Amino acid sequence: MTDSDTALRVALRDAQASVEKGDMPEFDGIWAAANARTRTLRRRRRVVAGSVAAAAVAAIAFGLLVPREVELQFVDEDELLGTTSWSAPSDGLLPEHQFDIYQEIPVLIESTETYGGALL
Amino acid sequence: MRESDVLHKNPHVSRSALEAIHGQVFGWALSRSDYDPVVAEDLVQQAYVELLTGKARFDNKSSLKTFVFSIVQNLARSRYRRIASRLRLLHAAGTVAIDDAVQLIEPNENAAVWKAVQELPQRQRDIVELVFCRDMTIEAAAGVMGVTVGTGRAHYDRAKKTLKKKLSNIGAGFDD
Repeated sequence: MTDSDTALRVALRDAQASVEKGDMPEFDGIWAAANARTRTLRRRRRVVAGSVAAAAVAAIAFGLLVPREVELQFVDEDELLGTTSWSAPSDGLLPEHQFDIYQEIPVLIESTETYGGALL
Repeated sequence: MRESDVLHKNPHVSRSALEAIHGQVFGWALSRSDYDPVVAEDLVQQAYVELLTGKARFDNKSSLKTFVFSIVQNLARSRYRRIASRLRLLHAAGTVAIDDAVQLIEPNENAAVWKAVQELPQRQRDIVELVFCRDMTIEAAAGVMGVTVGTGRAHYDRAKKTLKKKLSNIGAGFDD
């Protein structure tokens, strides 16, 4: 620390002291008040924790003690079958969904004439 | 450290150790509260509560003084943040003007030294106070302010330079 630093320190300390002059509260008083505040905080925390625990116990007890009415549900077989549908895996290849590839039934013209032993 | 003295929730802190630094802690709290002794007392009391409840736990990583100063600093910050937000709400509601609600106490306006210090930016003012008036190292002061040592050093150098320049007119020996 240089001489100018020391001079600055002295000047600042004097200025600070002049500002802070006045009665400083006793340590004992503040310490006692802090202890009292701590005790109050602890008591309040205990009350809150106790209330939360009591509420939790009450909720659990209510859940366990109150009987629950169970409504049985049956599946109607006809309804189940009526809602099912089937589509061929090759449906995806059709130009439209469920496209009827046989727009009309082809007519086969059968010939009875033969040529060289084979049917024409 | 007397065994009976040790705080239950803070085994590295004793009542007597706190009593030994009480004056300095109160001084720092005063400076954090715009020199309002009532607010400063409340800040110190709240800092002791934090230590008693173990909410602030001292683990010997710094000096006790640095640690307690940090608690006071943080409490003051959150206190003024709360006040500022309340004032903003009141201002928005049009019930009070901020200028009316905040009554800044200007301590010792006539002292040229004090005036020069008050004119420094907040961080520079803090580090100057901690190093010169509260006997802290730059490292410890940076810890209290919540900045890196490098930043603390930069603020310290800048503050010193500015102060020396301003005060060279009123006292001899400020020039290097």
